[in-house]
Amino acid sequence: MERRLYFLAGDMLSNAVMGAFAAWLAAALVDPTWSMPAGMFAGMLAGMGVGLLLMPVFVGLFGAMEVMLPVMLTAMLAGMVFGMAGAMLAPVLPMLLLGGGAIGILVLLLTYAVDAVLHGRGA
Amino acid sequence: MDTPTRKKWDFSAAFYDLLAWGPERRWAPRKRELFANMHGKVLFVAVGTGQDIPFFPPGQDITAIDISPRMLAKARGRAARYDGSLELREMDVHALEFPDHSFDQVVTSCTFCSVPDPVAGLIALRRVLKPGGDLYMFEHTGSRVFPFNLMLDVMTPIWKPIGPEMNRDTVSNVKKAGFEIRQVNNVYLDVVKTIAASAPVQEKKSTG
Repeated sequence: MERRLYFLAGDMLSNAVMGAFAAWLAAALVDPTWSMPAGMFAGMLAGMGVGLLLMPVFVGLFGAMEVMLPVMLTAMLAGMVFGMAGAMLAPVLPMLLLGGGAIGILVLLLTYAVDAVLHGRGA
Repeated sequence: MDTPTRKKWDFSAAFYDLLAWGPERRWAPRKRELFANMHGKVLFVAVGTGQDIPFFPPGQDITAIDISPRMLAKARGRAARYDGSLELREMDVHALEFPDHSFDQVVTSCTFCSVPDPVAGLIALRRVLKPGGDLYMFEHTGSRVFPFNLMLDVMTPIWKPIGPEMNRDTVSNVKKAGFEIRQVNNVYLDVVKTIAASAPVQEKKSTG
């Protein structure tokens, strides 16, 4: 598992920023007139779209697959969750930023856990 | 010569170093570890802009090829600073211009995510490798673990026009090309890995 501070901090920053941004975008796109499945789907697409746009910046700074995979998962999940939330209520900005960021950190920690299990194994 | 592939990497040469700054630093320790195995006459496949050259151990005899002249143009400065013998050549891995059994080792680094016909490319490498010679690879591949496999499948058609495919089963391709796998080590998840394989020794017997 990665132990260098620069890359650990980069992983956290990438996922937290991506989660917050995807959450904000999904909630801005979806309003309470939408059905929850439609909000979730639109949020997922918006999250993945913004993920693809921002990902090259994080990849260039912090790593390839190590950044790409958790960041894209974060973007997709934060978009889904806050797209769904946007269909139920109008989330306030601090909730979007903190919630999206928290999703990003959670995805990152889960990815680290899977990596710890798979690391060094053969295929 | 595979012209579409050459055009793709010529285009990517303009921004490749920018995108590779983080990945190369992150992977540096594992690449140095893998490349420390280099000895004898070495063929390095897809040298690109030469980002891997600083990780080569000094004093080696290396021929490095790439399909893209623009990538090679960027690699020349790094090649000139290498403390050993390093020749850069423009060449398609599917059509290697080397005689059979020319090299003791073949080394690749993020190469077989991009070679259009990976099994044919690996068979070509086996041809130029001495029987019993080593193949060392640092590659990213597809995953068998959900949801990473899903993400890699989704991203492959988006990235393919300007870069690599992300869902290839490179370990299986190495086996299909007739190499004997010695070791596979996961570097990150089951996606980034090092592969050590050998060209079969039987070929030595059949060719005398």
